[in-house]
Amino acid sequence: MTFKRMIVAGLLFTGLAGLVCVSAIAQPNPAVSQPAPAREPWQNEFDSVCSRTQEAMSLSQEELAALIQRCDALLPQIEKLDETRKKVFTVRLRSCRGLYAYVLESKRNEKK
Amino acid sequence: MRTYSNRKGMRRNSFGLSLLLLACAISFLTAIASAQIYLPPAPPAQPSDYGKVILDNYASKGPGAVVFDHWLHRSKFTCRLCHVDIGFAMQAKATGVSAETNRQGFHCGACHDGKRVFDGKPIFASCADAPGPQCARCHSLGKKGVRKYEYKSFTAALPKSSYGIDWLAAEHTGAVKPVDFLEGITVKQKPMQSREDFTIKAGLAWVHPVVFSHEKHSVWNGCELCHPEIFATAQKSAVQYTMFSNVEGHHCGACHLKVAFPLNNCSMCHPRGPSWAQMK
Repeated sequence: MTFKRMIVAGLLFTGLAGLVCVSAIAQPNPAVSQPAPAREPWQNEFDSVCSRTQEAMSLSQEELAALIQRCDALLPQIEKLDETRKKVFTVRLRSCRGLYAYVLESKRNEKK
Repeated sequence: MRTYSNRKGMRRNSFGLSLLLLACAISFLTAIASAQIYLPPAPPAQPSDYGKVILDNYASKGPGAVVFDHWLHRSKFTCRLCHVDIGFAMQAKATGVSAETNRQGFHCGACHDGKRVFDGKPIFASCADAPGPQCARCHSLGKKGVRKYEYKSFTAALPKSSYGIDWLAAEHTGAVKPVDFLEGITVKQKPMQSREDFTIKAGLAWVHPVVFSHEKHSVWNGCELCHPEIFATAQKSAVQYTMFSNVEGHHCGACHLKVAFPLNNCSMCHPRGPSWAQMK
């Protein structure tokens, strides 16, 4: 009787351990996921121009100036969007343009 | 022998002295009052109320005001994700969030759309067309027992500081892993290069300098949450960062009065505390 109980407990333990391992391996990526929606042409330029904020400090002054110009060129396209998108993306564009301008200013000050 | 004119002169002198004493007392009290005004204010008594935002733009028309708890959201996401990528402004009533913008997939609706998955579970939809019991999960001001997460139980396993949750330790130890990327919204980037810590000389001679860690800040904020919106100039010593401006909600106070550890936790920024030698 005790031996049977030990076998049952052993099997249960093994099964439980297996389940834990499987769930740990199959855990989804913690990043918030969703199927990618269709993108408009201005969004590709937005993504491209605002994708360098994290590395802004390592960019040259010329690269930073070019990114600022691209931000300025993109603004009129964003201003044509509907009210909500215009508001959200204007703020986002302003923040990445602002950062590039900030880093550019900092690099110019370093050279002085 | 005291003459009438002497007595008159003495009376005038004592009147003048009284005026002088009164002026001194007034300026002394004014100095104390202004010093008190610019001392870092104490945060709310309950850490659960720290960073609580009430959104009541349309409260009179709809299902009531929304209560947003920073402690719940920052345990899962970086500050940058919401305040840069999703576009939540740092100032009250500046975002323009509404049920309509949420339904369009902006603001709260960027995540709360009923489809996006987090930790293997779909995130409930905000501002669905048909009102239901889940509305009260956000529109919860003044309602009891409607919210899914309570501060005490939710934060039980997180490291604590002298006031509330120690978010730096929580992030450092992996107790929280704030997500910084939202598919379809965040722009893919190369990982940020770590920047060195630096010190900022304190305005008062008897206070040791501030030790500022770019690394600790950039984990949560990236670069563009702080520059140039909060720290506008790249020219060193062009701006004096003072406790006065912090207490008014500028510079460090933009976050450290509302969400990040409170300003009155002096040693977090001035780790060496007061310079006792300078005070002698």
